[in-house]
Amino acid sequence: MLAYVIRRIVFGAAVLLGTSLITFVIAFVIPADPAVAMAGAKADPATLAAIRTELGLDQPIYIQYARYVDRALHGDLGRSYIRREEVAGLIISRFPATAILALAAMALSLALGIPMGMLAAAHRERALDNLLLVLSLGLVSIPVFWLGTILLIVGGLYLHWFPLGGFDGPKSLVLPAITLALGSAGYYSRILQTNLADAMDQEYVRTARGKGLSLRAAMFKHAMANAMLPLVTLAGLDFAGLLSGVVLTETVFDWPGLGRLAFEAVFNLDIPLVMGTVLFAAALVVIANLVVDLLYAWLDPRIRLGQQL
Amino acid sequence: MNMHPRRHTRSAKGRAISTRAAAIRRCRFALALIAALIALPGCRSGAPPPQFPPGAMVLKLAAISDVPTLDPAAGYDVDSWMFEQMIFDTLIRYSDAGVDLVPDLATAWESSPDSTVFTFHLRRDARFTNGRIVTSADFKYAIERVLDPATRSKGMEYYRAIAGAEDFAAHRAKSVAGIETPDAWTMVFHLIVPDPIFLQKLAMPFAAAVPREAVEKWGDDFSRHVVGSGPFMLKEWIGGQRIVLVKNPGYFVKGSPHLDAVVEAIGVSEDLQWFKFEAGEIDVSNIPPAVFPYVMKTPRLRDLTLRIVTVTTRYMGMNCQMPPFTDERVRRALNYAVNKPKLIAVLNGRGIVANGVMPPGLPGYAPGLSGYPYDPARARELLEQAGLGHGFAATLWMPADQTMMILGQSIQQDLDLVGVRLRLKAVAFAPFLEAVRQPRTVPLFFMGWEADFPDPANFLDVLLSRHQWGANNDTFFSDPRVDALLAEAAPLSDLARRYALYREAERIIVADAPWVFLYYPITYEIQQPWVHGYVLNPMRPARLEKVWLSPHPAS
Repeated sequence: MLAYVIRRIVFGAAVLLGTSLITFVIAFVIPADPAVAMAGAKADPATLAAIRTELGLDQPIYIQYARYVDRALHGDLGRSYIRREEVAGLIISRFPATAILALAAMALSLALGIPMGMLAAAHRERALDNLLLVLSLGLVSIPVFWLGTILLIVGGLYLHWFPLGGFDGPKSLVLPAITLALGSAGYYSRILQTNLADAMDQEYVRTARGKGLSLRAAMFKHAMANAMLPLVTLAGLDFAGLLSGVVLTETVFDWPGLGRLAFEAVFNLDIPLVMGTVLFAAALVVIANLVVDLLYAWLDPRIRLGQQL
Repeated sequence: MNMHPRRHTRSAKGRAISTRAAAIRRCRFALALIAALIALPGCRSGAPPPQFPPGAMVLKLAAISDVPTLDPAAGYDVDSWMFEQMIFDTLIRYSDAGVDLVPDLATAWESSPDSTVFTFHLRRDARFTNGRIVTSADFKYAIERVLDPATRSKGMEYYRAIAGAEDFAAHRAKSVAGIETPDAWTMVFHLIVPDPIFLQKLAMPFAAAVPREAVEKWGDDFSRHVVGSGPFMLKEWIGGQRIVLVKNPGYFVKGSPHLDAVVEAIGVSEDLQWFKFEAGEIDVSNIPPAVFPYVMKTPRLRDLTLRIVTVTTRYMGMNCQMPPFTDERVRRALNYAVNKPKLIAVLNGRGIVANGVMPPGLPGYAPGLSGYPYDPARARELLEQAGLGHGFAATLWMPADQTMMILGQSIQQDLDLVGVRLRLKAVAFAPFLEAVRQPRTVPLFFMGWEADFPDPANFLDVLLSRHQWGANNDTFFSDPRVDALLAEAAPLSDLARRYALYREAERIIVADAPWVFLYYPITYEIQQPWVHGYVLNPMRPARLEKVWLSPHPAS
């Protein structure tokens, strides 16, 4: 197990290194001059040259990259060209808002998706199953910017139940969390329904049912454990995606998270901030993958991690 | 020893059942974890909203973008300038509603007839919010800071004409010799070349007084701990959430500002701004394009709108280095082919058809230019003459923006009628700006220019002179006649002669047609009925010292 964890960490580090390299090369080849971004288009050549020297931009790309990696390993992701603040500090300042929204959305999507999936499986090929199928597909299909705007109009503007955007307390969390959660809930519901239906057809469940076990007991005690496993993988990766920031939802709801920070960085071609947010997101995905794999093994001890690799 | 098959089976099944039981237990734990996740976000999120005493007059605003910086040496955008002009003072500034210069911290000023020496006399009662009196040395320090390459100020170029600026920037001198401060209340600028628009340059926030002690204390973080002498001071700035300014009780204009505080919510999309405005949560708002017709048809709302023609020109640039736009007949053909009144209709009337480079409201504006009326027949004729009677294909680059895309589609339809097949390419703004500066890269592009200061040079010289290739002359247009006229006009203090030369340059540019001259935008904002004294400026963000609020439900 320990060897597996170590291998996965090394693998994750390699992924991060690759991500940083790709991002760095993209930043290098696009026609953007960081010196011009900092000093302005009207700056004279001497000033631009001085900035390039100071930033090490006059060095070969591999030296620039090596320096970037070295600094990143020491927690220094550089300074934003536009905001003139530490990138690491900016990311850390925005992460709590994103993390709270991600947790709320994930919890809500599981809280909705799991019961929906179970209900659908319990009423397989009956009216309720079909109804939940339509509902799930509907939830998956609704664009978040539309849903978010409608929720704001109804819940914020007309009913005055929730604030009109912002990040000012638990009530402000409700609408963006719902917006993010509904699509995932529909998806989880379909995955769980399919897996539960498969599990309910397995011999061990049919035997249990044959011995007189109720449908509910058979589902909870025998089928759920197996049916939940794929959901863990999906939810884990979804969670990593949510933690990396959700641009549309954060934009619609004026939510000061990482997604908006990354969007603004790309919009302003703020290369250090773009690289910082991309690296941070990649690190979250790597960590989430590792956690999911460990959770997977923990939920199902039949899986022999060491032998899988 | 051989194992009994049945026993083997039982044994395997037993392990399987035991394993499944463990999995079930853990699955229950996972479900419990989910329940905990549901409860966790219930804890308080975000910073608590700012509290003000009952009856406090607080103006609430909202903006899409965060403020990039509050450091006047660094900011060069509308969002930064809006707050910088509330926190800091310059020697002179623009009037609330116009582009004429009025005193700020200077009580009087004189300039030599040849526009090389400028003398300012400062008021003696202005203090920074740290309590120290503002003196001429603070203005000198501010400009030296802008000229110091280590500051990386985008305003450096505006002050290079000051004698000794180059030596200071190159670290050959410890101070700028051309800025004299004979006493704490007097300062004299000596320029190496005549600059009739130097006053306008001093009205830019780059030249605002900053206290050296605060800048040196906070270094790169000065932006977060600004100390100025303006009507407001920074109370709170939570990145991505809000910025809060409160009244500076020591502001030198007694009884000003009227407001106790200004709170701007950050990151609020245009649509959300509108919802907040309708709910009374913000006091002044932009009007999203989608609701603009509704607002103008609703008397209750229309009466609350504010309108101003900004000192801005919008155009479609044609790269004069890239065929077929190297041929001026093609460029003129496109000017005739684009139906500009239709564009104004698409904008719901929020613009005026442009006939030239300089917008109305800019000193030197030439109202007599006839421009290019919509004439597709003439356009086809010119294309025939250029050997392109069969038409051609081209790509129009534009910032990724809904309005730009709609305008692009309108132009696409117009040009299709004369055989020009246009492909629209929407690009994020920063990469777009980088791309258009590259030679022979972008054939056609949408662009706009808003005045930095009210003088024809800020349009004609910056956007269309040969020396601005790779900087702001994105069409790579060059005409020696134009360059000669611009060079002749630049040092002239005689405004009549100066403007005449610029108008002549503009006439040649319009004939050469490096742009399709599109429109001069009209800005609309809407304010709540309880807002008073809010005035739009054609060139700068609105100033808020004179704004006051009557009692209202949201207070």
